[in-house]
Amino acid sequence: MALVTILTLIGLCVAVVCGLAIGPTSIGTQRILGSVLSRVGIGHSTLTSLQYSVVWQLRAPRLVLGLLAGAMLSVAGGTYQGVFRNPLADPYLLGVAAGAGLGATFAIMDIGNGTYTPTWTPLLAFAGAMVAVAVTWIIGGRGLRSNASTLILAGVAVSALLTSMQTFLQQQASAQSIARVYIWLLGSLASASWSSVDLVLPYVLVCTTICVLAGRALDVMSVGEDESRSLGVPVRRVRFIVIGASSLGTAAIVSAVGLIGFVGIIVPHIVRLLVGTSYRRILPISVAFGAAFLVFADTIARTVIAPSELPLGVVTALVGAPVFVLILSLRKQLVR
Amino acid sequence: MSIIEVDALTVRAGAKALISNVSLNVEAGTWCTIVGPNGAGKTTLVETVAGLRRAAGGSVTITGRPLDAMNERERARVVSLVPQHPEVPAGMTVKEYVSLGRSAYHGLLRAPSARDRSIVDSVVERLSLQEFAERDVVTLSGGERQRMVLARALAQSTMVIVLDEPITGLDLRHQMDLLELLKTQVEECGLTIVATMHDLTLAGQFADRLVLLDRGAVVLDGPAAVVVRSRELSQCYGIDLRVIDVDGADVVVPVRS
Repeated sequence: MALVTILTLIGLCVAVVCGLAIGPTSIGTQRILGSVLSRVGIGHSTLTSLQYSVVWQLRAPRLVLGLLAGAMLSVAGGTYQGVFRNPLADPYLLGVAAGAGLGATFAIMDIGNGTYTPTWTPLLAFAGAMVAVAVTWIIGGRGLRSNASTLILAGVAVSALLTSMQTFLQQQASAQSIARVYIWLLGSLASASWSSVDLVLPYVLVCTTICVLAGRALDVMSVGEDESRSLGVPVRRVRFIVIGASSLGTAAIVSAVGLIGFVGIIVPHIVRLLVGTSYRRILPISVAFGAAFLVFADTIARTVIAPSELPLGVVTALVGAPVFVLILSLRKQLVR
Repeated sequence: MSIIEVDALTVRAGAKALISNVSLNVEAGTWCTIVGPNGAGKTTLVETVAGLRRAAGGSVTITGRPLDAMNERERARVVSLVPQHPEVPAGMTVKEYVSLGRSAYHGLLRAPSARDRSIVDSVVERLSLQEFAERDVVTLSGGERQRMVLARALAQSTMVIVLDEPITGLDLRHQMDLLELLKTQVEECGLTIVATMHDLTLAGQFADRLVLLDRGAVVLDGPAAVVVRSRELSQCYGIDLRVIDVDGADVVVPVRS
């Protein structure tokens, strides 16, 4: 556990350096580090004003948003897997993705007439995501009285309904606007700014903290609903709080960066292979691992075919799947 | 003095009454076993006594307090449960699993205290689980696993333990081992046990009292020796049952008609 924690933190530091230092404009790592230190009052920056803008107005907010998105999606995925006791659960399970997708599609096609992505898009995506989760919660067996399976099924139904509504909307649109919607749906950190960081930071801090603190409850709940109640866990209240926190944090992230797939499902599984099945270990490590993972993926996404970018969701899957398989096979060998 | 008081209890699933108007008092430091054919309502009754089901009518009181008036944490300090099919999460060690029994004491945000750890160690030792303590729970045999689940219940330090078919799936030796272990807890620690069992011979040999349940209602309630010899027992099961005395122990056998 200690070794994994140290290696994850080292990985996180390397990811931060890569996120700041790698890009089409070549700036020395030492000069970037000097600029970072100068901002905390140590030494002085040697960057030109152009380099300063590239680092602090383009790369830094993108890096921070990537860290927040990776951390939030990973911890939310781990929390969902724990609360639903389902290894296939991810943060989009209860309709966040479909709701956000419909909200964003509506914004792009109705407000922006399909010709541009309006500034309202994140707000409508966030609203769509939260409405979807609320509807799932209400129809999934009257909220607090529902069980996990009912909620999952309600999430599937709500997602299907909202996705079909989104498809209908898209059907009415031009090829150009459909392309714009798809770009949003695939997720990207390209439009990251300090204002978007300011917007999601409070959600991510609060929701991540709640999810990490739920680790001990999720460990007890791994014996099933009835047994955990007999052990003193207020199961329905815990479920309400952790699903609420995971969904709210995910909705905030999705509204800022679109739908980045794979992180929320794969990172908790990779961490589980490394540190065991206790959510007290999985969740905090997932925060750091997910943050580092998404920044690495974004660094690849924006550099491989520069000046164009690969969709971030494609890179997370392309990088994540082999890493997962590698760790899975290494672990099997170790167990033997 | 009664530690458990079940008064006119009715539990429903939709419109169907699973048990109706059941009344039952259990004295502290005794063993009460519920017997009856499949579908009699045994599991429903013990799950309600464990606080897992809501009563449609009547009440369950433990140590003078109605179960409905307790929250989950308070209830877990009063009554613990050994379910018929316990869920055993892979990746957890035996000691970690037994420690779950202390959750109601240290809460969900704090680590177990020194006292919690000491109680877990003592239960692990009492149930001879030391050699498995660091093993993954899924590697245990059926008998070891059942002892581990009982250890978790004992770690809850409750005065009442509810067991639903605790010897299902165990071989004869492990059945006897587990029941002897429970009997020791009753006799030496003053534990109160409410259990369901299908094996009428073992139920009669270990329980102080048998409650015969059929179609959701109490048919007979009394000392084990009386209930196993009753006509009602054969009638409830719909077969001919005989009792043979083997060195002072009652053995209940079905006879082919």
